[in-house]
Parts: sequence; C-alpha cells; structure tokens
Amino acid sequence: MRQALHAEWTKLRTDAAIAWLVLASVAPTVALSAAVAAARTAGSADLDTTKLSLVGVDLGQATVAILGVTVIGGEYATGMIRTTLTAIPRRIAVLATKAATLTAVVVIAATVAVLGSLLAAGLVLPSGVPLSLTAGSTVRAAAGSVLYLALIALLSLGVAFAVRDSAVAIGVVLSLLYLFPILIQAVSDQDWQRHLQQIAPMNAGLAIQNTVHLRGLPISPWSGLGVLAAWAAAALVLGGLTLRLRDA
Amino acid sequence: MTDTIAPYRYEIAPGRDGFAPLVHAEWTKFRTVRGWVIGCLAAVLLIVLLAILTGSGSHTETCVNGKCRTGGDVPTTGPGGQPVTDRFYFVHQPLAGAGSITVRVTSLTGEILPGGGVAAAAGSSGGSNPPPGAVSAVQPWAKAGVIVKESTQPGSPYAAVMVTGSHGVRMQDNFTHDRAGRSGAVSATSPRWLRLTRSGSTLTGYESSDGVTWTKVGTVRLSGLSSTVQVGMFVASPPYEQFSQHLGGGSGSQAFTIAGGTFDRVSVQGGAVGTWSGSQIEQGDLPPPAVGKFQQAGDTFTVSGAGDIAPVVGNRTGTIERTLVGAFAGLIVLIVLAGQFIAGEYRRGLIRTTLAASPRRARVLAAKALVIGTVAFAVGLLGAAIAVPLGERILRSNGNFIYPVSSLTGLRVIAGTAAVLAVGCVLALALGTILRRSTTAVTAVVVVMVLPYILSVSAVLPAGIAQWLLRLTPAAGFAIQQSTPAYSQVAAQYTPINGYFPLSPWVGFAVLCAWAAAAAALAAVLLRRRDA
Amino acid sequence: MKASGEPGIQVTGLRKRFGRTQALDGLSFAVRPGSVTGFVGPNGAGKSTTMRVILGLDSVDEGSALIGGQAYPSLRHPLHHVGSLLDAAALQPSRSARNHLLWLAHSQRLGVRRVDEVLEQVGLQSAGRRRAGGYSLGMRQRLGIAAALLGDPPVIMLDEPFNGLDPEGIVWIRGFLQSLAAQGRAVLVSSHLMSELQDAASHLVVIGRGRLVADTSVAELISAASGGRVELRTTARSEAMTVLAHAGATVASTGPDALTVSGLTPGRIVALLSESSVPFSEVSPHRASLEEAYMELTRDAVEFRAATAEEAAR
Repeated sequence: MRQALHAEWTKLRTDAAIAWLVLASVAPTVALSAAVAAARTAGSADLDTTKLSLVGVDLGQATVAILGVTVIGGEYATGMIRTTLTAIPRRIAVLATKAATLTAVVVIAATVAVLGSLLAAGLVLPSGVPLSLTAGSTVRAAAGSVLYLALIALLSLGVAFAVRDSAVAIGVVLSLLYLFPILIQAVSDQDWQRHLQQIAPMNAGLAIQNTVHLRGLPISPWSGLGVLAAWAAAALVLGGLTLRLRDA
Repeated sequence: MTDTIAPYRYEIAPGRDGFAPLVHAEWTKFRTVRGWVIGCLAAVLLIVLLAILTGSGSHTETCVNGKCRTGGDVPTTGPGGQPVTDRFYFVHQPLAGAGSITVRVTSLTGEILPGGGVAAAAGSSGGSNPPPGAVSAVQPWAKAGVIVKESTQPGSPYAAVMVTGSHGVRMQDNFTHDRAGRSGAVSATSPRWLRLTRSGSTLTGYESSDGVTWTKVGTVRLSGLSSTVQVGMFVASPPYEQFSQHLGGGSGSQAFTIAGGTFDRVSVQGGAVGTWSGSQIEQGDLPPPAVGKFQQAGDTFTVSGAGDIAPVVGNRTGTIERTLVGAFAGLIVLIVLAGQFIAGEYRRGLIRTTLAASPRRARVLAAKALVIGTVAFAVGLLGAAIAVPLGERILRSNGNFIYPVSSLTGLRVIAGTAAVLAVGCVLALALGTILRRSTTAVTAVVVVMVLPYILSVSAVLPAGIAQWLLRLTPAAGFAIQQSTPAYSQVAAQYTPINGYFPLSPWVGFAVLCAWAAAAAALAAVLLRRRDA
Repeated sequence: MKASGEPGIQVTGLRKRFGRTQALDGLSFAVRPGSVTGFVGPNGAGKSTTMRVILGLDSVDEGSALIGGQAYPSLRHPLHHVGSLLDAAALQPSRSARNHLLWLAHSQRLGVRRVDEVLEQVGLQSAGRRRAGGYSLGMRQRLGIAAALLGDPPVIMLDEPFNGLDPEGIVWIRGFLQSLAAQGRAVLVSSHLMSELQDAASHLVVIGRGRLVADTSVAELISAASGGRVELRTTARSEAMTVLAHAGATVASTGPDALTVSGLTPGRIVALLSESSVPFSEVSPHRASLEEAYMELTRDAVEFRAATAEEAAR
C-alpha cells in the first residue's frame, strides 16, 4: 500500500498539467471572492459576510472537479490504466491510493484558496463590515469549505472511474453541481425547493459556509456537508465496482 | 528499372474543391459514433424531463378558511391577454361617438401611506416601512390625466394622456404602450393642458402649456372600441417599493401610496354630456385610506387615487421560459459532445488524418462548427418545442397562471434556446481546439455560460454584479429566452432574480455570438499556426 | 513528361528545430515512381517528422517538400495525390472501420463504393462493420493502408506499416507494396528495422539525427557492405589462416569452423588452400544482410544505443 501511495504521488507530482490545475483552482477562487467582497456595500448587518467572502468556492470547485476527473480520465485515455493495474493488481487499492493522494493535494490547495479568499476579503471589504477570522462560525465555514472542495474532488474521481471518459465525467459532475440550483430556482413549491436544497450536492454542501440565520436554512451546515459526503461515497462505490467488475 | 514504368496517374476525375465535402465528412464523423447520437437523444430527454419536473414542483393554491383549491386568483388581463394592473380612481361620464375632453392639471401630489399594506418581497428577510421623509412622496410614475376607456371593467381597452410624478407628460394606451411628451413637473405656476380626442377607433393626445398652442403627443388606434365609451379624469399612484438583493435573498420595503391631482377648465365636447360619477376601479385588497375620491367645485376637480394602469411585471413564475430550465442540462450534454468532437481527435491523433485529408484548416474548423452547431440547434429545437407546451400544460393544470405571449415571441423563445445551444457548442468547439483537452474546454464553457446564470438568479450575488455578469459573459445569450419585456413606464425590480436580463434578447444573444466568434477566430489562427 | 511537375516526392533542404533538438537538419531526398523506397533510420532520427512535413501537418524552418511538384497544402482533394498512414491507432474506437473510411471518402467527394473496394483490397471486408476499437494492431494497419488507398493516389507513404503484423501479414504487405510500385506509383515506407524492408524495398533513404546518411539502391548498398569478402568453412582453421595471411589476405575468425577473408578472390583462395593441402568444405562470396549494411551506415547516427548493444558491437 505504501509503495502504491508513493507511485500515485510520483504520478501526480510529475504531471505538469496537475500543477497548473492546482494553481488554477486557487487563483480564481481568491479572485472571485475578493471581487464580490469589494462590491459589497456596507449595508444591512444581517448579511452573511463570511459566505460572501467564500463565494469563489463556487467557481474553484469546477477546477477541482477537473483535477479529480483528470487523475484517472487521463489514464483511461492513454491506456496507462493498464500499466497502473499491472503494477498494482489490487484494483481497490488503486482507487484508494488515488483518492488519498488527490485528497491530500486538494486539501492543501483548498486551504490556500480559502484562507486567501478570507484574507483578500478582509482587505477589500469596506470598513465597518464585520469579518472576524477567528470567530467560531468563520472557522467552521473555512474548514468546511476545504472539506467541501476535497469531497468535490472525490465525487469527481468516483464518477471518472465509473464512466471512464474524462469529458463525460466532467459533464456529469458539473451537471450534478450546477443543475440543481437552476431547478431549485425554477420550481415554486416551497417544500420542493427545500427538499431539493437538502439533496443537491452543491446547495447542501455549501450550507457549511453559512454563519447567520442558521435556523432558516433548509439543512444544517454539517448535515449538508454530510449529504455531499454521501454523494461522493456513492460515486466512489460506483467507481470502485466498475473498476472491479469491468475489464480495464 | 524505374525508367521502364510510367508514373501512375489516378483515374478518378477530381471534383471541384469545395466546402460541401468537408461538411459531409464531418457529419459522417458525427453520426457514426453511437455514443454521440445517444448523447443527442439524452439532451432532448433532459430538456423535456426538467420541464416536467419544473411543472410538477410548482403549484398555486388558494385557501379560504382552511379549504384549498388548485388555482390562484385569476389576474386581470389586458386586451393583449397579458396580466395587468388596472387600479385607479376614475371620474367619468359616458361619451357616445366622436368627441374630446380637455383639462388643465395644476398639481400632482403624493403621500406614502403608513402602517398596513406592507408585503414582504419573496425571499426577503422582512419588510419594513420606508423611513418618513426619506423618499419623495410623489411616486415617479404617479399619474393624473384624462382617459378614454371602453368601460369601467378592469382590463378594458383605453388611451390616456397624463402628467406623471417625474416623467413629464405621457400618452399611454392598452397598458403596454407609452409615449413621452414634454418633460418637467406640474405645478400651479407651470400647469399642463391635456386633451384627448376620439374619432372612431382613433384617439389623439395633445398637450399645451397655455391652452392656446397645442402639441400632439401621439395617435393610437384602439380597434373594436365601442361607440359609447367612458371619458374622464383619473389619478393613480403605484406602491412604493424598495428592494435590495444580496447573498441569500434580499430585504425590501413596500407601501401603498396615494396621489392627488387638481384639474380645472374641464370640458367635454361631443356626445351627450352627462354628470360626473366617481369609481374606484379594481378595489381588491386596497386598504380604506388608499381608496380614491373626488370633489367638484365648478369646473375644478380634486381627485385622489392609488394603484396603477400598467402591465404586471417582476414575476418570473408565470413565464414560459420557466419550462426551459432543461436547456442548461441539454447545453452541458451538447458541450461535452462538442468538446469530444475536436479534442477527441487531438487525443487520438485523428486530427492528423483529418488535416491530411483537408489541408485547409480553417475550413475544417468551419465545417465542424457547422455540423455541431446544426446538431445542437436541432436538439434544442426539438427539446424546446416539446418542453414548452408540455411544461405549460403541467403548470396550468397545477393552477399556475402563464403569461400569454405572441406567437412570434414564443417562436423566439424556442428557436432562441436552440440557437443558444448551437452557439454554445461552437464556443466549446473553439475552446476545444485552443486547449486541445476536452475536460478543460467543457468546464470552461460551463463556467462561463451556466455559472454566471446560477450566481445571478439564485441571489448569491448583489443585483449590480449579477447584471454585469449577464452583460459581459456568454451567459448573456440566455436573454433570448426572456418572454416578458421590461416596461420603462413601470418601476420594478428588473433584476435577473425576477427573470429580467440586463440586455434585450437579441443584444444578449449577440454578446454570446461575439464570444463564440472571437474564440473561433483564435482557434482558427492557432489551428493554422500550430503543428498538428 | 505529361505531369504538371516532378512525379513522386521531392524533399529539399528540410530544417526543423523542436526546442533544443534539431529534428531535421538539411534533409533532401526524392521518392520516384515505380519503386518502393525504404525510409530508414533509428528511432528519433526524424522519419515521422519528415512525413508530417510532407503532409503539411508540421511546418519547417527551412526547405520544402513537394508532391508531384506541388506543396501539400495547395492540393485539392489531397488523398487523390498522396495516400498516407501515419499512426494506425489514430481512430475513434467506437466508429466502425467502414464508417472511418466513409468520412474520409466523403471529404474527397468519393462514395461508399470506393470504401468497399479498398476494404476488400486489404482483406477487411468481413470485419468492416465492427468497431475499430476492437481491432488488433494488425487489422488497424490494414485499415490504415485502406485509408491510404482510398483516393487511388500516385504517391503512397506509410509510417512503420509492419508494426504489429504477424509473419503472414508482413509477407502480404511486402507483396502488396511491390504491386503498388509495379503500377507506377511512388511508395515510401518507413521502418526502424531494416530486416522488415528486406525483399520489400528496392531503394533506400537512410537518415540519422535529421540528416541524410545514404540515398542508394538496395543492390548497391549490399554490394558495398559486402566489400569483396569471402566466407570460408574449414576444419583446419589455424592452417588456413597462416596460408592465407601469408598470401597477403586479411582473415577474421567468425566461428569455430568459419573464416572471413578479404583481399583475395574466391578462385585464388581455392588455389592457395589446395596447394597447401588445407582441407575446406565451402568457399563463397560474402553477401551482407541489409541489416548489417545498415548497421555499418548508421553506426555514428544512432542516438539512443543501449550500452550493452554497444559492447556487443565491439
């Protein structure tokens, strides 16, 4: 298992495209957060400044999804998956090591992106707008956003293992993330909206960023993240089954 | 040995070199990959499925004393079938045949009514009354003027000339049409003379500052107007509304207002001149202080009234484009196909076979764009043509009111959706050529076309930023789906969250096209310059 | 000549640099109609790059590559002028072979009839409707050759067509290439293994590190490499070496009972050995294999030679 981890890490480390993707997941996240925070006027106090300062995650998750899809989709495209499976015949170990290395990389990148977003927002927010970096709820939102991005990466990895084509995989992941919010806007029944918000990976998962009006949320922050974790787990199980049962 | 054999000459007569074979080849390429054809069918299904889901998740019920029935209050509809507000105070008398009314308006005042009648806007964190003295009491679109109306029935045809709170003299008819006259506010020292003449179905509005020199404001035709109509003076004052949108919703305040107008030198020519009677048109939920009244002293009338004569705006739930949210799902599927259509060739080295067969590379790109664009248009057209009537039917059966649209507008919404998918695919194809990786290309297009829309309509961003996003990004193209126009004569929240795009349908679509064209141009340059 | 320009392929002074690597360094050669020209060089010598340049896929810093006197990008319906196989794996796996050829045909204003003709020519008619993704490498090579034949072109260019073929397939392709040349076509076939070209090519263009090493007919190359040497089989090795060396010949031992002699004709060797009563069983002129001749030529040009191979050569 250790060799397998080492091998996966070497693969990830030596792929120049991966390094670019990691960078590309940090920069837009911080930039969008800062831009939105800068446009935020010192208005009513019940605004969720923390959530606003982390809005870049909505964008950054797309790059994280590419990352999650690419680490395996690329191997299927080039046929390298056969080399990988020859080197490590226990297929579930391949999935586990890929998941582990990917999580490590995304957690590091996401930590940089989230802290960068909060700091940038702190710098550009108009004076008088409270944004306490040490408040418990802010810490929870920040740590939760890092976990959110890691779970998005795992969801993408699972989907990519299941469909074996990176373009199709990214289409599936982005549909799961982005179509629910649109459908939620389109239906008018309150209970439909609430249920959709409770099961949608992006809406439920991002509940972790809320720091005010927690009672009014359709799902509590940690259970929301739990919903996303369930999606990621389901995708990984599906991916694992595909990997085990189908010929490489 | 080489000298003994004559060089080989092929015998197939070369056809004329042209674009058509390229398109034919690319079409053959597309249709012979089964996964892509299945993808197209899946896109159609998704568009339809989401329309069904949207319809099923939207009910309107009316409950009285705990007993509920499907269906909402039937809105007043204007002559065009669109829902309208037709609430004002009307001082009127019948007019048979041709005739005219002339008045002088010497003042228009207004008042924001305190207390009740405040309705919290959707998603708001609570309504509140505006602070006293914080806003001008006369609403910008408060109206006082003369009107010829089919009857006192709400929604009946009309034409009117009026002074407004801050938009000068206007001539309006049948709720949606508005023409500007002289600007400036009315006062005792600067009164406005207004005249409206009726001749058959032709109504002409005039204004004057002295009652001597008259300027025509406009002429309208109201087809089918009865020979006997109601003529008179009216006053209306739309509710005060303030709303700010930001993360997770918004806060707003709303209050009834009432306006008062003073008319003198009132004269009516033609027909049988009778006595004046006053009617509050469409009283509805109007609180008692907002119900209008009038006083007559000689030929001077003091009239007060609340409400508005205008189309209903700012309500996304009743639009036909709501049945087309599946377009986003279809778009993502088609973008994946478009990305694979080019990036897949790069991945497998097939691009070399393609370019060896057709060395003129820009033409290859154009042929690919034509094929994928046409496929996406067909998919979108089929999907939308099923989704709109089906979704409308489900929405109606669940008691929702759907804004009627002209067949031209309906066509624009359906064909426009198909066109947005087509141009989105061309954008994806161009980015796939530039980036040579389908994953990145697909994500890039989804991020620039879908994400700005989500951030704008789901109240994540403040309205200002949301509007700029929908002006500048390719997501602007979805403006072509907007079926209800924003009326400049109605003050409302014309924001993305309410279904209003900052750009008009065709301009928004042009923004998307401009992005696609720029990307395609860059792709063509790179394709020609780079080694295959 | 009726042709609008020189028939075949004319490559003149090609130079191309990829970053720090000079991929092509002033390469010139011609491929003439009526014969199969082998295009040989070690891996990385620039064969594929040259072929991509000929097809207008890669640009060059200097030089030109003409087909029938015309630059490739200016050709109308180019598959009627040159048929090529660059990479047999360059296929959309879910598309059938027949459909792969069909889109190519449509791009050249050809119909489905021509597709079926070329499928039959390469022996794929029964497998034509199967997914190309399920093809063996050998079948993909055949499919690639079918694509090259589609426009019935006077020039055919194949990059490593022997890769992945079984012995039967190699024999088939050799005969096929020769029949194409016999029809008057110019055929250029690249390979990094000279042995594959034995009995297939009559002319050779050998390159190394982007430069021309040799442009010669196969017969000339072999006779040059043979260098008038004579093979001798004898049970009395040392006696024979003494006698022949005494007569001024250079003698090398190549086996327990085999010697290679240079500097003497076979007749003179027979005479000398008979005079000295040295027993021998066979005297024959040495005929170098194409492989040997090629190794001789490219000794300096080989870029990536394994250390063990280098030692074995000494």
